[in-house]
Amino acid sequence: IAQYHIPTKQLKAEVILEPHEVSVTENYFQTQWLIWSFSASFRGKPNLLDMGSLMIKPIQRVMKYPLLLCELRNSTPPSHPDYRALDDAFAAVKDINVNINELKRRKDLVLKYKKNDEDESLKDKLSKLNIHSISKKSKRVTNHLKILTRGESQVKDNTFNREEKLFRALEKTVRLCVKNISLCLQHIQDAMPLALQSVMDLQEISYNKDDEMDYSETLSNALNSCHDFASHLQRLILTPLSALLSLFPGPHKLIQKRYDKLLDCNSYLQRSAGEESDLAKKEYEALNAQLVEELQAFNQAARKILLNCLCSFITLLRDLMLVAQQAYSTLVPVPLLVSSISEIQNQVLEEIQNLNCVKENSATFIERKLSFEKKKPVQILPEMPHQTDIHRSKLLSTYSAEELYQAKRKCNATQEYDINLLEGDLVAVIEQKDPLGSTSRWLVDTGNVKGYVYSSFLKPYNPAKMQKVDAENRFCDDDFENISLFIFYAVHAFQARSDHELSLQEYQRVHILRFCDLSGNKEWWLAEAQGQKGYVPANYLGKMTYA
Amino acid sequence: MSWIPFKIGQPKKQIVPKTVERDFEREYGKLQQLEEQTRRLQKDMKKSTDADLAMSKSAVKISLDLLSNPLCEQDQDLLNMVTALDTAMKRMDAFNQEKVNQIQKTVIEPLKKFGSVFPSLNMAVKRREQALQDYRRLQAKVEKYEEKEKTGPVLAKLHQAREELRPVREDFEAKNRQLLEEMPRFYGSRLDYFQPSFESLIRAQVVYYSEMHKIFGDLSHQLDQPGHSDEQRERENEAKLSELRALSIVADD
Repeated sequence: IAQYHIPTKQLKAEVILEPHEVSVTENYFQTQWLIWSFSASFRGKPNLLDMGSLMIKPIQRVMKYPLLLCELRNSTPPSHPDYRALDDAFAAVKDINVNINELKRRKDLVLKYKKNDEDESLKDKLSKLNIHSISKKSKRVTNHLKILTRGESQVKDNTFNREEKLFRALEKTVRLCVKNISLCLQHIQDAMPLALQSVMDLQEISYNKDDEMDYSETLSNALNSCHDFASHLQRLILTPLSALLSLFPGPHKLIQKRYDKLLDCNSYLQRSAGEESDLAKKEYEALNAQLVEELQAFNQAARKILLNCLCSFITLLRDLMLVAQQAYSTLVPVPLLVSSISEIQNQVLEEIQNLNCVKENSATFIERKLSFEKKKPVQILPEMPHQTDIHRSKLLSTYSAEELYQAKRKCNATQEYDINLLEGDLVAVIEQKDPLGSTSRWLVDTGNVKGYVYSSFLKPYNPAKMQKVDAENRFCDDDFENISLFIFYAVHAFQARSDHELSLQEYQRVHILRFCDLSGNKEWWLAEAQGQKGYVPANYLGKMTYA
Repeated sequence: MSWIPFKIGQPKKQIVPKTVERDFEREYGKLQQLEEQTRRLQKDMKKSTDADLAMSKSAVKISLDLLSNPLCEQDQDLLNMVTALDTAMKRMDAFNQEKVNQIQKTVIEPLKKFGSVFPSLNMAVKRREQALQDYRRLQAKVEKYEEKEKTGPVLAKLHQAREELRPVREDFEAKNRQLLEEMPRFYGSRLDYFQPSFESLIRAQVVYYSEMHKIFGDLSHQLDQPGHSDEQRERENEAKLSELRALSIVADD
């Protein structure tokens, strides 16, 4: 038995698997090596022209060993000194086979599930639906919910969870970096040429054409450097990061699948072990192991790439700043102190403004001049105050109702002796014609001034109709002036319930001081009667027509 | 001349000599161009400073997003690097803001003030033009009377017209002279006015960029891999990417 050198121990499982998966051309050298390494053990069997059968040989061999060893062991009496060694050998060989199987399972699973889903059409997706898949999915959803809600016992793998978290964080970071760095690049590309151009423009008006230093070369150099920066950034940072970003979805899908398998596995945890649960467990573990191993590698590599890109970003910025500094340095003449700049400029500005052509024509001066020079002198009326209620009450008391009119709209004075009116102003008509005899222009009294307005702007004053609107609009604030206008009477009696309220008798006349209460509520009005003040409900009051 | 019934076809007599008119046009043209330049420059500078600010804001965002990422929690090296980057970006933003303020004060404000003088100038030119029209009109009236028969009332009217003409002509000539004298001075004063602004702008930029260069230079020294050049990093990235693509869990593109 000792003569049986056990080559299997020397063979690593992966080496056997490789030729199975990949195309011949790609692994030509690998297969060559394999052929060479196996040629010794084949011991001169020249009929190996078929690549397929050649590649199958190692697998067959590996599978033969357990059987061989098993037979050997069975035919050895247990008392034989080699029995123990045989036993161990048999176990080892079986282990190797199991390992190979599991590894194969891992790779197969990964291969199966990493297929790109996006290419599948709706039809393909629908064709995949069958009872089996639907039941599988619904079981998974149930399990997922169970885990979420009840925190049931589940298979956990902390290593995996850690790696997965890292994976997701990396993805987010890389994505954000790509976005932010692109945006920053955009801004730099916008800002630097603008700044350079502005400098050039300012230089143009600051110096005479003759002694103008030619900066066009500096300008073009600087712009070129800006372009270089952009292209370098693209090449060194954005391209690798974008490429990296595109690699994330693949593992992501597999992680999802692993979770599905985890759910399947969990669903069997409760029940008794059977063939199905075994399979689920195996599948989960295979996928898990594969992912754990490779995610670690992925994360490390991704991290390195990210770090490299950040370093490159910093050096690129540093170089760009240097270029800009140099560009601007070539332009700078003798530097001045900041403080003296404003002094110099103010002085110059003063000089300019003292030029006669400017002084005489400055805006303020023009206004004054215009007012004298106007061909048709308009009598500038004194700023007329708006009609207040004093005026209105005066009018009301002086004139009778037929003489009272109200302005329908704002009237602007246009001719001599015209007056301005605001909409709603009260006027008393003194004369229904103007000095020239036209009856369309009337002489009115606003209580404040007397003047002419066009009669078409006036309408007869109807205090009853007007009062309500007016009251609400104009008298919500303090206005004790016009008490006489707004006399109401209580339609019903009202009993005051507190100090703030005023009791009313039926038909009692009250003066309204305010048409709302302190909080602006228009339902309650501040009324006064017989020397007492208080709030009364508005709907208890009726208007008295002006008498 | 009685055989010339219509005088409409005759060209207006030149009351202002061509050379004077030409000079005026030239000087005023220069000033108009200056006004345009000033206005455009003011707008461009505003755009430029806004773009600068946007740039530094987006730079700060880069480091801010990196910092707020859970990635940094576990990874001390990465955390150090990102913190240093963040500090640098924030300083960049601060310096940029200061630069923009400086530019605002020494360039944009003066531009605005300078530009505010132009309306007065334009008004002066307009009034001169008005005076010129008046002058022309009255001159034409005088000439009309001059060509009529010298009868009594005509002579009286002629005399009156001449009287009217005189102050208007004097007014125009005064305006004209004033403008012709002062416009070149105005134009020339721009040099003294804007040179300090220009110098200040350049200075601000130089100071800013040299400071930035220092900051980023220090940063790249401080972080590990001082020896690696960009090419090396690029190669390493490529290698890593291939390594990643070789992993079985990564989808084939």
